[in-house]
Amino acid sequence: MPEISKLTELRKLLLGMERSLGLQELSHTERDIYYAASDIAKTEKQIRTTGLMEHALVAEVSRPTFFRALKSLVEKGYLAPSQGRSRGLYEINRKPNG
Amino acid sequence: MFVASVAYVAASFVTFKIIGPVQDVFFPALAGHASLLFLPHGVRVLAGWLLGWRAIVALLPGVFAVFWFVGGADVFLPSRLIAIAIAVATAPATFRLLATLGWDLSPGRDTPPCWPCIMAAGIVISVIIAALTNLAFGTRPVDFVAYLIGDFFGLFFLMMFLMFFFRFMRHHGTA
Repeated sequence: MPEISKLTELRKLLLGMERSLGLQELSHTERDIYYAASDIAKTEKQIRTTGLMEHALVAEVSRPTFFRALKSLVEKGYLAPSQGRSRGLYEINRKPNG
Repeated sequence: MFVASVAYVAASFVTFKIIGPVQDVFFPALAGHASLLFLPHGVRVLAGWLLGWRAIVALLPGVFAVFWFVGGADVFLPSRLIAIAIAVATAPATFRLLATLGWDLSPGRDTPPCWPCIMAAGIVISVIIAALTNLAFGTRPVDFVAYLIGDFFGLFFLMMFLMFFFRFMRHHGTA
């Protein structure tokens, strides 16, 4: 596993701790989608909605809940739509809204 | 990879130079023996979890430097070398053992990492380190208990510190 992935794993671990301590600003589904997006971003530059929906962490989530959580993640600044490309492509945003 | 060594040295510095003197005031019975907030345990547990066997190589320079700082040239005594080996190898060995027993906590799987599980593994690692240290050198019972308490809170507070650090970085757009 590359070093950057280890950092991602450490951040995932600590995001889980944040949530347990009631400090997490993301819902369970939002966090799973964000984790899945982080996973996909390890190997792909842009994250396709279809690829995201097929990820093991998100596979059980219903479509309406998925799209609601995806929209919320974009609003909160965790994911950003890819610039100048077709719809359904996202990038991990390194600067979420406070 | 050697970030682990730097983190180990930094955690040891905070433990011995900042937390230690405060603890000596409130718990004089433990003065010069065990730390009740041993942050380096957190470093070795997280390194063992993230790096597996490579944690041995990653931690070795840092652990050796801390033993050198504490004991000077005594670091080459067989007992010190055994203690260094225990410090660097127990965490990855325990995670491997737990995986073999069916409790695989390895990072990078499809399930999100479980921090209470890492805390539990940290306790197991602490017990094994304390037992091995006791076997090798003999330890007072009060120190044995203090090691366990120090390791537990060391791991917990290190994770808390990292959690707030990443949170700060996230909110300030640098992570």
